[in-house]
Amino acid sequence: MELELRYFAMIREAVGERTTTREFDSGTTVRDVLATLEDDHPDLEGTLLANDGAVARSITVLRNGTNVTHFEGGATELADGDTLSITPPVTGG
Amino acid sequence: MSETLPSVYGGEILHVDLETGDNEIESIDPQDARRFLGGNGFVAKQVAEHVPVDADPFDPENVLALAVGPMNATPFQSTSRGVVGFVSPMTNGFFDSTFGGTLPQALKTTGFDGVVLHGAAEEHSYVVVDEDGAEVKSADGLEGTETYETCGEIRDREGVGYDTHVLANGPAGENQVRYACLVHESKLREGVAGRGGAGAVLGSKNVKAIAVQGGDFQPEPAGDLQGRAVQQMGRLMEETEMLQEYGTSGLVNPINEMGKLGHRNMQTEQADAEDAEAVSGETLYEEYVTEDTTCANCAVKCGKHVSVEAEGITEGKIPEFESLFGTATLQEVYDPERVIKANDLCDRLGMDTISWGVTVAFARECYEKGLLDDDDSPHLEFGDADGLVELARKTAEREGFGDDLAEGSFRLAESLDDEADRYLYGAKGLEFAAHSARGLKGMSIGYATATRGGSHHDTRPTLQYDGNHDETTKGTPEFAARTQHFTALGDSLTQCRFVSEAGWGARVNERYAEAISLATGWELSTEDVEAIGERIYNLERLINVARGVADRGTDTLPHRTMHEPIPDGPSEGMYCPPEELEGMLDEYYEFRGWNDNGHPTTDTVERLDLSDVAEHVAD
Ligand code: SF4
Repeated sequence: MELELRYFAMIREAVGERTTTREFDSGTTVRDVLATLEDDHPDLEGTLLANDGAVARSITVLRNGTNVTHFEGGATELADGDTLSITPPVTGG
Repeated sequence: MSETLPSVYGGEILHVDLETGDNEIESIDPQDARRFLGGNGFVAKQVAEHVPVDADPFDPENVLALAVGPMNATPFQSTSRGVVGFVSPMTNGFFDSTFGGTLPQALKTTGFDGVVLHGAAEEHSYVVVDEDGAEVKSADGLEGTETYETCGEIRDREGVGYDTHVLANGPAGENQVRYACLVHESKLREGVAGRGGAGAVLGSKNVKAIAVQGGDFQPEPAGDLQGRAVQQMGRLMEETEMLQEYGTSGLVNPINEMGKLGHRNMQTEQADAEDAEAVSGETLYEEYVTEDTTCANCAVKCGKHVSVEAEGITEGKIPEFESLFGTATLQEVYDPERVIKANDLCDRLGMDTISWGVTVAFARECYEKGLLDDDDSPHLEFGDADGLVELARKTAEREGFGDDLAEGSFRLAESLDDEADRYLYGAKGLEFAAHSARGLKGMSIGYATATRGGSHHDTRPTLQYDGNHDETTKGTPEFAARTQHFTALGDSLTQCRFVSEAGWGARVNERYAEAISLATGWELSTEDVEAIGERIYNLERLINVARGVADRGTDTLPHRTMHEPIPDGPSEGMYCPPEELEGMLDEYYEFRGWNDNGHPTTDTVERLDLSDVAEHVAD
């Protein structure tokens, strides 16, 4: 299945791109995508996933604009055509 | 044995009569320090005690109170802020506005924990405070000068360079633009007491600026506050990485991705991704940021300077996220250079970019709907970038249609057809900040009940963006009330919110209790410190009830928030219909111990040890 990945701020700097479209196996979870990104980009190692496999506190992940905390966090299964936005923690300004 | 004041306090409040120049010194009662802590708590008490409930915000009887917290000038991170308290010309209620930089720390070292300006000066003046007291000096020659220029000129006149820390009015404050702000230009970074019209109140007192020269007082914490602060440093730095690099402007893209960023005067809540990108932190960082700037005692350094050659801006202050909402996405203006120019102009002229931006966006929609036309003002079409710059100048000078904009959106609406009310975005007379009143349920009830009206520093959005109380009303009134305690406590400590939320936690917790206990020597539990925030919030409410601006009728939301769901994007369908708001208000009042009309009951006033101050307000 195809996912659109959007990167912001420091994550964008590490990846070197604003957006990518990538193929993943069906059943791929948020955690799988983050682990793949950590593998592909050494600067991201240890920054996207916490030790227990949850989404790290220092990032926010949105699936089609909705925080994955509203689904099943790192265990959220993704569907073909989903957009995943990976941003720094969103605070109050 | 009578209680002594902890040695983190200088122990005195300085009262200044602007008409005579007389000084009077009030000793801080240790019990009051325990009850109100500092900063926000201290200025609320001063307003309660000194401003008659029927005084107009522009009457000399209004005060402008400046205060710092117990931990300013200690190692506790980023207690670098100060607070100004007053009755607001926007809301006619109590208002406190915080600012960073170096002035608050300097004030602390004078030994004065607060300075209260009373009355009005006969001639255009500025006030210089040092450890011996205050002097009211002639501001001759500073009429109409911009904020940064005023700071520089007063530094020159005082002759000790950046050791004179200046908080200044611009032309907008002198012209009593209702949302005029105060700007502090320090050696390290700018600070802005942005909201509610502190600049207009100072202008009404015929005062151009407050200047502070530090003294020898050094606060002494009772315990190892430094050691405790160091323990928190790792988490603090890790969780503020985005702020360190991009400042708050880094929030534009993520919040737009969520579909919760107002666009076209809130007609929608998501800009096209390319448009948002054009005014995002990422773009500003890439194209315009030249250096980091910082408040005193802060490792985060979220401040940035930007330069835009085409606009003649060198080392200007970066627009904050809230300002990018007010002056870019809400206007459909995505030319970053014009947006930076408009923001720079607002800072120089001394105007709150949120209230001004929301007011201009409101006028643009009124124009679009035929309620205003070209005879009223050119440049009112959405997307008109040049208008942004032109209208800023006109507003500060109250020239032509700028005179209407200077009154704020609510007063402007009163002069238009009733239909205009449908396009307002604010509460209690104050325009909302960038955090969606429709897309975040905690903000719906938080804004409706906020002392300050449309403030994002009453109820906080931070936890909501992480999925707490953003989409549900369940438990949300209590959440909103308790983050109001958190912000009142934080603004009484005068700690920077970014640092406190990231480093110490976004709710009142045992870490704050421990730190305040280490600073003061009091043995406080988490419940004790939350009660301080609750007490202060109730005191603010009592002031506003007495002034007739806080009850069930005013605890409301604008038409669009209650009647028009977000039309598209990830937050499509979200709004806060009237019956939902009423249900949340019932729960909120019950949690607070207020009656059905939103007034604190006698039992609540007694429980919070507020009876003496409540009597004062009632008088
Ligand atoms: S985080 Fe920013 S606003 Fe807060 S104290 Fe540091 S420099 Fe000032």
